[in-house]
Amino acid sequence: MSDTESSESEAHEQHEHHDVEGPGYATPQAAIEQAEREQIAYVPSLYVGTDVDAPDFLSVVDINPDSNTYCEVIDRVEMPNKGDELHHFGWNACSSSCHVEGLERRHLVVPGQRSSRLHIIDTKDRESPEIVKVIEPEEVYEYDLSAPHTVHCIPDGEILVSMLGNKDGDLPGGFLELNDDFEIEGRWDPPGEIEMNYDFWYQPRHNVMVSSEWAAPKTYYPGFGLDDVEAGNYGHKLHVWDWTDRTVEQTLDLGEEGMIPLEVRFLHSPEAVHGYVGAALSSNVFHFYEREKEWFAEKVIDVEPREHEDWDMPVPGLITDLLVSMDDRYLFFSNWLHGDVRMYDVSDPANPRLADQLWAGGLFGPRHPTGEDDRPVIAGPQMLQLSIDGERLYWTTSLFSTWDNQFYPEEAERGSVMLKADVNPRKGTMTLDEDFLVDFGEMPNGPARAHEIRWPDGDCTSDVWQ
Amino acid sequence: MRDRHRIELRWRDGRTETVHGTEDESVLDAAERAGVGLPFGCRTGACATCTGRMIEGEIEHARPPRGLKREFEQGGYVLLCIARARTDCRIEVGSDVQTDLVTNPWK
Repeated sequence: MSDTESSESEAHEQHEHHDVEGPGYATPQAAIEQAEREQIAYVPSLYVGTDVDAPDFLSVVDINPDSNTYCEVIDRVEMPNKGDELHHFGWNACSSSCHVEGLERRHLVVPGQRSSRLHIIDTKDRESPEIVKVIEPEEVYEYDLSAPHTVHCIPDGEILVSMLGNKDGDLPGGFLELNDDFEIEGRWDPPGEIEMNYDFWYQPRHNVMVSSEWAAPKTYYPGFGLDDVEAGNYGHKLHVWDWTDRTVEQTLDLGEEGMIPLEVRFLHSPEAVHGYVGAALSSNVFHFYEREKEWFAEKVIDVEPREHEDWDMPVPGLITDLLVSMDDRYLFFSNWLHGDVRMYDVSDPANPRLADQLWAGGLFGPRHPTGEDDRPVIAGPQMLQLSIDGERLYWTTSLFSTWDNQFYPEEAERGSVMLKADVNPRKGTMTLDEDFLVDFGEMPNGPARAHEIRWPDGDCTSDVWQ
Repeated sequence: MRDRHRIELRWRDGRTETVHGTEDESVLDAAERAGVGLPFGCRTGACATCTGRMIEGEIEHARPPRGLKREFEQGGYVLLCIARARTDCRIEVGSDVQTDLVTNPWK
């Protein structure tokens, strides 16, 4: 596809890695070759919005099948305060800082989505991480920002966090930058570039960042309302930024078919000018790409709503997460309401081809996918994570405390689960592993929700390559 | 020191706790000072995790309750992180008060 290749600068032609001392991997393929099988998963786990009078915590989950504590939460890092709503989180460093000698992928930045508090967790002891620093909400409000969401490590050891609101929980949102000592460097973007914010992904070789839109925190925090959709309070745009100038160069309005565009995933190859975003409410996947210095977004997957006997209208799939395999071969996404995970061949990025689909929980999937004697799975697949070799897909089931309460009230009573499918990338198939179930309903303080998943050595949604 | 008011907190399972709050502190702060845990999130009035419902008495929100839609505010719902007692109060609390406000819009 000659129209998708952008010219490289000479610097990138010289991007050699013969003396690399920095974190991460030289290329996505090097990650596949060099990464060990994931044995530990970090999973934010939460009590906010329930009557469990305890703080949220970061779970350390044993996912080593040879271990005596396989499928168990082996450590819980409790937050110092209640009410955070731990949600998404990220590393201090990744492959984009490959030339920063001595920098390690060691600290997790774990934001409270509701509290606007940022926790820095040292994972030097992988099985027993510790909180080493807390940035209090008042420090964040000084930059007229709140509601931290996505954490990406950016080149030179800096950290960028998307912030969904101003200090009042209203618009506009923006981006907060932390330095390598985990101090607030400042607001990354000039105020006024965007109104709504959500997720972002950058592709340094093409000097581009793409950000998406949820809504003002005061709109989505209390729960989902159709009146807010009708009033235009939910997002439907992608913003294409000049990465070095920190300005929005193009805004792509996805329209009615692109309501609530959430997770943004570029392909991993530093050469790629292709990515995907899932429009949650419209339940469509958009392919965005560059051609002759201009960016475009086109709907490439449309999940049809389904009739349900208890619903007044057909149920949307609600695409809440998606990811691209490290080899850029497959796109996976979850339909949280329907209850399925889909796997698409994206070797032709503009024309995804459905390879396989798997059902567990949700409104249409089996309630006991791992066996009738096992606990029920309430909500459908939500946050996804794939092994770096592309052979194991894991997911959790909670979306957001208040939204869970609307669509799956039982999620609070029973707690979330983490499930796994074995993936065959050669055959394009997924098989649910009926022997794998992590039960967050069985926590010491009571049933917990569980959200994003990360491996200690990076994963398919953490790393970016220069 | 402004007036202190008696605040009775009632959960739907029948549990009750009585705390005392000044006119300068939120009901949430008064409850925490007394060692009574209530649900909360942002503590700024934007997220509504701390929603309660007035049964009796009067409160004043210290700043606009952005997380509370107007019809709910008129229906007696309050945000305890920014609500300050102005009289003795009886307030329904607990996480299921907030869930009253958000039902599945498609069912």
